[in-house]
Amino acid sequence: MKTMKVTLQVNNEKVDLQVRPYETLLETLRDRLDLTGAKEACGMGACGACTVVVNGVPLRSCLVLTPEVDGAEITTVEGLKKDKKLHPLQEAFMEKGAVQCGFCTSGMLMTAKALLDRNKKPTKKEIVRTISSNICRCTGYKKIIEAVEAAAKR
Amino acid sequence: MKNDLNIVGKRVARSDSLAKVTGEARYTSDIKLPNMLVGKVLRSPYPHARIIRIDLSQALKVPGVKAAISGFDAYGIKWGVFRYTQDHAMLPTDKVRYIGEDVAAVAAVDEETALAALSYIKVDYEPLPAVFDPIESMKDGAPQIHKEYKNNINIHIHIDVGEVDKAMENAFLVREDTFKAAGEAYAMMEPYAVVASYKNGFLDLWMPNAGPHVRAKALSNLLKMPLNKVRVRHINSGGAFGGRSEVAPADLVASLLSIKADRPVKLTHSREENATSSRQIHDIIATVKTGMKKDGTIVAKDYKVIYNGGAYSSTGPIATSIPFYVYEECYRFPNVRYNGYRVFTNKGIRGMYGCHGRAFLAGNEAQMDLMAKELGMDPAEIRLKNGLKPGEMTATKSKITSCGLKETIEAASEKTDFKKRWARTTRFKGIGMGCVAIMCGFPMGFRSGSSCYVKINDDGQVTLVSGLVDNGQGNESMLIQVASEVLGVPMEDINLICADTEVTNLDPGSYSQAAAFVGANAVKAACENARKRIVAIAAEKLGVKEADIGLKDRMAYFVKEPDKKMPISWVVREAFFRGEPIVATGSFFPNIDFEREWVSRPWGQMAGTFSFGTSVAEVVIDPETGKVTVPRFTAAHDCGHPINPMAVEGQMEGSILQAGVATVTEGNLWDEGYLLNPDLLEYKVPLACDMPDMETIIVSSHDPAGPFGAKEGGLTVRMNAYSAVACAVTNATGELFEELPLTPDRMLRLLERKKGVK
Repeated sequence: MKTMKVTLQVNNEKVDLQVRPYETLLETLRDRLDLTGAKEACGMGACGACTVVVNGVPLRSCLVLTPEVDGAEITTVEGLKKDKKLHPLQEAFMEKGAVQCGFCTSGMLMTAKALLDRNKKPTKKEIVRTISSNICRCTGYKKIIEAVEAAAKR
Repeated sequence: MKNDLNIVGKRVARSDSLAKVTGEARYTSDIKLPNMLVGKVLRSPYPHARIIRIDLSQALKVPGVKAAISGFDAYGIKWGVFRYTQDHAMLPTDKVRYIGEDVAAVAAVDEETALAALSYIKVDYEPLPAVFDPIESMKDGAPQIHKEYKNNINIHIHIDVGEVDKAMENAFLVREDTFKAAGEAYAMMEPYAVVASYKNGFLDLWMPNAGPHVRAKALSNLLKMPLNKVRVRHINSGGAFGGRSEVAPADLVASLLSIKADRPVKLTHSREENATSSRQIHDIIATVKTGMKKDGTIVAKDYKVIYNGGAYSSTGPIATSIPFYVYEECYRFPNVRYNGYRVFTNKGIRGMYGCHGRAFLAGNEAQMDLMAKELGMDPAEIRLKNGLKPGEMTATKSKITSCGLKETIEAASEKTDFKKRWARTTRFKGIGMGCVAIMCGFPMGFRSGSSCYVKINDDGQVTLVSGLVDNGQGNESMLIQVASEVLGVPMEDINLICADTEVTNLDPGSYSQAAAFVGANAVKAACENARKRIVAIAAEKLGVKEADIGLKDRMAYFVKEPDKKMPISWVVREAFFRGEPIVATGSFFPNIDFEREWVSRPWGQMAGTFSFGTSVAEVVIDPETGKVTVPRFTAAHDCGHPINPMAVEGQMEGSILQAGVATVTEGNLWDEGYLLNPDLLEYKVPLACDMPDMETIIVSSHDPAGPFGAKEGGLTVRMNAYSAVACAVTNATGELFEELPLTPDRMLRLLERKKGVK
């Protein structure tokens, strides 16, 4: 089968890969790199469970072909910790009870991370608008919004 | 008592949340086993067709295909929850009964090969006439879906208490309404997935499930394997909501593929397969007739409810009954007749959602409001008048022990200024109230109880073994919190092993709302037995009475002189010296009438206890578009004494999404047997921007039999939030809806009918 060479910077680590031309970034991350934090919940970009940050932008990795992002810097939920310390968002999600089944959590965290990286003090409205890209079936979003607000204050 | 508690009742971070925020928590589709194959399923394109022949031979020739199976490779055993409902082969050999039914499957080295191989399976069908509407299905001459069930009536539940006709005749006010409600999608975030690994006569399985022991038993029957050879293992579950309760066709398919290939097989559903071919929710047509006295007292209820049961029985008798029971556990009905019919159609397999039947409740509650209005009463008043009180019996003879219904009505009313706002006639704005009671467990034979093992390790840390499973609601953390309270060690010192049928003991699972009341009670009992052993040794060593020993912060101490203490780990070591390590078991069996049977004997004690709740929704209707929005929602819940209030709030808030906002957005759309909205673009799960301002009120009470006074936490809202929104729309329009959900088109029709009114 024909493959293409791509180089990605994943969670601050350079990886050289041979991928199929039509391979999605989600498949590359989960199947080749064993980074299973990003989940496939709809496979059509509707739910955001597969969100990862690509060059600072939250993208649905199920809709991105890996060859499209050759050379990109990618952060997944596994790369959120810094020096073995939890990211403020991770801490806040735990403390505020923003996690239930957890299947949307990785994507939700990455969407929120991209928001806080470009806007250190988002208003509640901005948070609501931003995370409206991701579906959570369990929480009703209230505690997720509270967690993002709390993380923004740290 | 609760004031003495150190950890129960506190807002603690859930024990499972660390793995979930770091992405380390494993779900079924994350599992990678050596030599693992990918499974794919060939599904029926017909809603109803005879299977003439299934030819797998060409598929088996595709390079990389390691196994192919159909129902002819199974054992001809049909599944059903009850002996009298065993009609689901999971892989049919006679005929297919819905579009998307599992027909054959392959296991191959990768997904592409597996998908390609499916096209080489040849199935010859003889299409048969199909029926999709339950009313049509019940008519003489309709296509017969199962030959054993005349007129396609799968289940008829008949309950008759008192003298309904006489009471109706004598009632001051009688009203009868008929309404319909679409079935919804569970839309749990995790699409269904199974990993099956057959080795040396043992079958290991991972899948999201609401009860590993029940699942293993069903599969041991279907596979004709001894129960101890079928091991359902622990794995995180990405949401269930009732949709993971029963054994799934995919479980049988993956197992057969693994047995045939002699390799592990992973079978992951697409989002669409999850919607069409895992469980769906019943749609209903309900006729509700209510008789009242002049003072608003309900004197009689007469019901006819038709449930579209899809192609197979599933939990048939339970699904046909529960909507009525959660209502009768809330209100006093001296005379009541309930005729529930579950009818087969050529639609997908069905299950229970939350506790099941919220649209049924919504119709009852909205009708009650309209009758109250006619009698010059308000919804809160009429609910208080008819609501059950502690010590009362339900119509079908369940005793209500602890009951905070009144308190929830009062708390929610006060918070929302309900009476005033309900009476105010503002065009296109409304406020509504919904009440309900939830059984904490129900009769499941010897599986109604739970047993737990606990051992205290040589460093004083604890290993807890429970059959309970967590579907995301926080059951694992709840058990750890309870054990931490009893044993005086912090939560992080407790390792939980749960939901693994090889290791754990029987437990009803996160099914029937029994997790807190039954599962946590067993953990409490086991830990109390271990505690007794710790206390005995500590008392001896400290030279004080056993009654004067306390356990806290990993220490055993003299309560009158807290400085006189010793580490629990020393006590444990002493126990090892004596050759009597500290291990204990504990069980809990709820007070249920086990003579009770869903069809043949529908009376007797249903559950050990009941939770209660009241929701209040405020709605605004756009008269131009018909769109209903829910700007504010208040929910009050009597969950006994909450073990983790933050987790209970989370359940309540999630329920406002799934049942409150869903009342205006969610419903499966069909074109005959085709599900039109199986994905998350077309099926509208509420987003953050759709959510109201939410206020949750935990009406903390103390259940005498619950663990530290606890009952189930959150499900009342999952049921009555639907009623609250529907009643608010009724308040705004003065009219009972004809069909749910309350989508813009239906709202416009409703407004048209009421033009000029209010």
